[in-house]
Amino acid sequence: MFGCIAVPRNFRLLEELERGEKGIGDGTVSYGMDDGDDIYMRSWTGTIIGPHNSVHEGRIYQLKLFCDKDYPEKPPSVRFHSRINLTCVNHETGVVEAKKFGMLANWQREYTMEDILTQLKKEMAAPYNRKLVQLPEGILFVEWD
Amino acid sequence: MANSNLPRRIIKETQRLLSEPAPGISASPSEDNMRYFNVMILGPTQSPYEGGVFKLELFLPEEYPMAAPKVRFLTKIYHPNIDKLGRICLDILKDKWSPALQIRTVLLSIQALLSAPNPDDPLSENIAKHWKTNETEAVETAKEWTRLYASGA
Repeated sequence: MFGCIAVPRNFRLLEELERGEKGIGDGTVSYGMDDGDDIYMRSWTGTIIGPHNSVHEGRIYQLKLFCDKDYPEKPPSVRFHSRINLTCVNHETGVVEAKKFGMLANWQREYTMEDILTQLKKEMAAPYNRKLVQLPEGILFVEWD
Repeated sequence: MANSNLPRRIIKETQRLLSEPAPGISASPSEDNMRYFNVMILGPTQSPYEGGVFKLELFLPEEYPMAAPKVRFLTKIYHPNIDKLGRICLDILKDKWSPALQIRTVLLSIQALLSAPNPDDPLSENIAKHWKTNETEAVETAKEWTRLYASGA
């Protein structure tokens, strides 16, 4: 029985919204809706505070998450708004590339935006990422859309 | 597939909703998820919502009937107990839920809430304030929104 009942998209996003409003864990990842009037709750902003023992420590990274009509059957599109040098992030656009980020490539409907942000925070502290040279804080990716 | 374990109670409730719909209310389960209903409520006569057709969505969580259904408006509505995302402030959807209640009773209560907005227990602070300070004008806005967003298109 467990897990066989799929919560429909909108109610799932309302749950995520409420969880995000309450605040998550130690506060190093958070997210909220961009447009409080959008009944379909598509655009979100996520924030990650860079993990200890990495070049990202204490930095604040902003991301944009977009949950389309097929969420959570399909993952949201995720891109960094703050410039960052990470192996799974496109250097020009900030897009988190599914083929280099397992959670998006092997997406399951139980995964949440919180899971994505938490996993990206772990990525920042991974051996192949934690020492990568970064630009000064506060620079943004160029927005193409 | 996900519907093979649908509890008998939900099947019964669904059949009755379809065969004997309550006046001004329709609810039909979605094809791919029998716990997810498309709902329409007609704005009650003598209310600012008269003439409006309001779309809602309703979902029966795994714990139903031990937990309340989840319901929200998809049509924009100007009402002190309904917020911008269509979420509804209604006691029977929260702490006053009882397994003796049904989908039908929930929808009838929502219909009744349209006839009797309660600005003393608001979900939208601004709308409630409007209602309390200038009810005539708030009602006019509610009528205007009904024309704009709920005209049944």
